[in-house]
Amino acid sequence: MTGRSPRFLWPFAIAVYALLLAPLVVVAAVSFGSTATFDFPPKGLSLRWYQAFFASEMFVRSFRVSQGVGLLTALVATLVGSLSAIGLVRLRFRGRGAAETFFLSPLLVPHILLGAAVYLYLARLAWSTSSMTLLVGHIVIATPYAIRCVTAGLVGMDPRLEEAAMSLGASRLQAFFKVTLPLLRSSLVTAAVFSFIISFSDINLALFLAGANAPSLPVHIFSQIQFEADPSIAAASALQIVIVGGLILLAQRLFRLRLMV
Amino acid sequence: MGRGQPPPYWVLFVGPYGLYLLVFLVLPFANVALLSVYLHSPTKIAIAEFTTANYSKLWELYYANLFFRTLRLSLAVTVVCVALGYPLAYLLARARPRSMTLGLFLLIMPLMVSTVIRVFGWVVILGNEGLVNQALRQLGAGDGVRLLHTEGAVIVGLAQQSMPFMVLPIMASIERISPSLEEAARNLGASWGQMFTRTILPLSMPGLLSGALLVFSVSMSAFVTPALMGGRRSRMVGQQIYEEVLSAYNWPGAASLTIVLALLMLGLVGLALWASRRRARLETAR
Repeated sequence: MTGRSPRFLWPFAIAVYALLLAPLVVVAAVSFGSTATFDFPPKGLSLRWYQAFFASEMFVRSFRVSQGVGLLTALVATLVGSLSAIGLVRLRFRGRGAAETFFLSPLLVPHILLGAAVYLYLARLAWSTSSMTLLVGHIVIATPYAIRCVTAGLVGMDPRLEEAAMSLGASRLQAFFKVTLPLLRSSLVTAAVFSFIISFSDINLALFLAGANAPSLPVHIFSQIQFEADPSIAAASALQIVIVGGLILLAQRLFRLRLMV
Repeated sequence: MGRGQPPPYWVLFVGPYGLYLLVFLVLPFANVALLSVYLHSPTKIAIAEFTTANYSKLWELYYANLFFRTLRLSLAVTVVCVALGYPLAYLLARARPRSMTLGLFLLIMPLMVSTVIRVFGWVVILGNEGLVNQALRQLGAGDGVRLLHTEGAVIVGLAQQSMPFMVLPIMASIERISPSLEEAARNLGASWGQMFTRTILPLSMPGLLSGALLVFSVSMSAFVTPALMGGRRSRMVGQQIYEEVLSAYNWPGAASLTIVLALLMLGLVGLALWASRRRARLETAR
């Protein structure tokens, strides 16, 4: 049906995609440059900034922090999110609508405010910040995405399948584990992928909650941009772009992406 | 548990996250609300004596300017996103499934990459030694132009970050409008422009409104972008909160700013819900 959309709209679409992709393309290109300045197109190709990235103790450590916190966030958010989604979709109880609104409310709270609020709260409890407190914050913001993914999977599933299994003699738990759970697999993978991405890309919470000695990758990049901008930041960024882009491609094959925004 | 009533299994399912949010979302904001009426002390951070000073301080010129500037920049970002995003939303809504999948991937992928990386890309493009200035120098345009650390740079950066929040809701509302409505209008002799202003535009208003409010609130609470792309004279509220918490240690001051910004956002979301419900009611009444 594209043929019927008027041609004069195309320049707008191209402008938007140029705006959206320009910073990512430039970062990726600069990371392969061989000079210490940012040249585009790069003057000669090299992997020296990737070597610099892997040789820098701080970059590697922050990458590990982001990876570890991301994986744990994915695990916990998917688990807790699935429980919540099952409760919200399959069970009838008073205040279900209110519970749903409450559970999705972290999506509406600006992350910089949430970061500040949790930081001040932890200060009152005399907890010092570390990767642990970062994990605590990331679970708050990632779980609503997991709830949405699993809810969509459950809503699209015929509840009679489970009933049929039960009428054939399966217990409630057996029906759940043998019928419902396998059907939910792609929703669960998507939930985990998105929870990981939310954690891996977050900066606003991490600025407050990551420990000073264990910054996450985005926080370390943030401070490096402020002090000295050498292209190993570009290498770190390009790595993130590749990881996130690959994961989204994976999720898109399994799931409708637009549910996530 | 009464007779015939099932045991409350639901507690096991919705209990964990409910409790978690209570402890790590509700209580932190309650704590902020409390801090915001405490007295600031340079030595002890906060004294448990009630005061309204943290709020009345916000009427001072410095804070009034800060809020006004944040509102103005967010409004500019919203206008840019509507102007560029609406045509794309229309094209995507009317595209073939394959092009739509690709279009959505290219729209959402940048959104999922960390803000700080996208900002870094802009620093490389717009900086003093950046790509635009290199190009200008090669063309012999003199010393180069100051592009980074300006309000314009902040608007560009924020528009890049919030564009998908504008495109997706508009796209969803245009998809719901049947293409046969467009055909009917065209067959009855309307030009494309007439058809658009009389059918598509009014029917996609709810999407436009929620997109605009989303973009506006994302921009209102921005921190990383104005911090790295803005100058001294383009500070936004998010930066002020960050600094009062982490470097000035004026926690009651940061708390009152947080509460005011949070209430502002809550008001906007409420307004959006009210507007879309009112609209729905008007349409059913017709």
